[in-house]
Amino acid sequence: MILLSLNALIMLFLLAPIIVVVATAFTTSPYPVFPPEGFTLAWFERFLGMSEFTDAIERSTLLAFTSMVVSAVLGTFSALALGRWKVPGHGAISALMLSPILFPAIVLGLALLVFYHRIGLAGSFAGLVAAHSVLTTPFVIRLVLASLAEFDPAIEEAARNLGAGWWRTFLQVTLPLIRPGVLAGAVFAFIISFDELVITLFLAGPGMTTLPIRIFTYVEYSSDPTVSAISTALIIAWTLIGVPVYVRFLSIRHS
Amino acid sequence: MSTRTGLAGDRSVTGPEAARATRRPARRDLTPWLLLTPNVLWLALFLAGSLITLAVISLRGYEPGGRGMLDTWELTHYVNFLTDPFYYAVLWRSLGMAGQVTAWCLVLGFPLALTLSRLRGVARALFYLAILMPLLTSAVVRTFGWMILLANNGFINRTLIDLGLIDEPLALMYRMSGIVIALVEVLLPFMVLALDAALLNIHPQIYEAARNLGARAPRIFVQITLPLSLPGILSGSILVFTLAISAFVTPALIGGPRVEVMATLIYQESMSLLNWPFGAAIAFVMLFTLLILFALTFRLGSRVQPMEAG
Repeated sequence: MILLSLNALIMLFLLAPIIVVVATAFTTSPYPVFPPEGFTLAWFERFLGMSEFTDAIERSTLLAFTSMVVSAVLGTFSALALGRWKVPGHGAISALMLSPILFPAIVLGLALLVFYHRIGLAGSFAGLVAAHSVLTTPFVIRLVLASLAEFDPAIEEAARNLGAGWWRTFLQVTLPLIRPGVLAGAVFAFIISFDELVITLFLAGPGMTTLPIRIFTYVEYSSDPTVSAISTALIIAWTLIGVPVYVRFLSIRHS
Repeated sequence: MSTRTGLAGDRSVTGPEAARATRRPARRDLTPWLLLTPNVLWLALFLAGSLITLAVISLRGYEPGGRGMLDTWELTHYVNFLTDPFYYAVLWRSLGMAGQVTAWCLVLGFPLALTLSRLRGVARALFYLAILMPLLTSAVVRTFGWMILLANNGFINRTLIDLGLIDEPLALMYRMSGIVIALVEVLLPFMVLALDAALLNIHPQIYEAARNLGARAPRIFVQITLPLSLPGILSGSILVFTLAISAFVTPALIGGPRVEVMATLIYQESMSLLNWPFGAAIAFVMLFTLLILFALTFRLGSRVQPMEAG
């Protein structure tokens, strides 16, 4: 009973800023106050009419989609190798491949900035895609590994014994079975890349301002509920995309 | 430890270990290496390559204004950082901040993880989702929420004044206290996931045995739950500490220029002052500090491990 009420309080703390951001998106006051006053959709209208934000959304979507594709391919290949074969140095390889999750973004951002200046990728879209894919591939690897662990490798063995080649076995047997993991990994990669700020702040050239950078600079110098409205739209979008994928991933795993 | 950090809490990764071990015959198979190559090359280029470049740059000379980066090799930037009391203070402030955030995440994360690890089926999936939900919202957005809450005339101060607990608003914005509050909230889910993974590994029969032998809840917690979840406590603490000391968004927005920490200093030196060599040196001071702390934690972990096995 004590634990339950304690947990309720901690969950309230955990969700507090999200509740505040969503609530202030509908306030009629000129700056974000909590609890909000009245109800209006004007702030949503306002940000949809500001090209600096809509352009940034377009740019972020393109960047996130491209990095998602790159990391889905890199991550699925790596996970197959790590999950289906006993390679020497298995532990070291998987530690290396998962390390970008833990690596300080502020250091990686500066490192990539100086590196890109040396190799001529400075301020380029390709450079941003490469940086984001390094960051998101570990999530694809983990989720694909998780779904690989769910089915018996004997199924693949059977396909091969029946005469299917490696490629055919992969396309017709393995891929359909790990699809929930690849899909979940790709979706998380998309969301992480879309929301990435620190590394992008170092690498984005002029004219490549992404939505998180727009929000960051906007919040630094001004405070009005426009940012609440954009954030609310993002929260709704990620929930609508992320939750069904998560549920599907879980239901496959526990069926 | 990084294997405990994923989004889905997949402890089953090492699942059919036996099946995997017997799968491949002794015949040399190059397929896994072909599959690993693209990602290994990618990481060698963009992770290793960029870090080596950064290390080289941190040893280059720098002349403010005029010539910028020089072709000389020197340790000036490291010496400058470690001898100047101002920079020294930034390092200590960051360590203190990360320590406080880690401690609070442990305190607040344990009750959540205890409940989560006891739930099964749909209830567990829902609770898990509720804890993961904040991770689907970016740190910028959540920090913005905290800025609204922590302001002088914000919700927290107005509530405390209305309740008569304080007369003057507490200064939380542009203070370390505000940064710590927001960072604890931003990083708490990571701690809960790490603790949950460790708590799930404790066999329920151990609790039963303890209860049958007459131990009460507080004693069970101190003598069984706490020591057996130590791997999760250590991995969660390392994760949260690392993310806290390198956090940029929350200190930049809530602390502003008044409360400088390592991450904001790196950004300011390299992006506002364009002194890349010094920024690079600060980055490596931070990495070395983390490495020393990791080494100490692992020694602590390996010293305690044999005891719990017995």
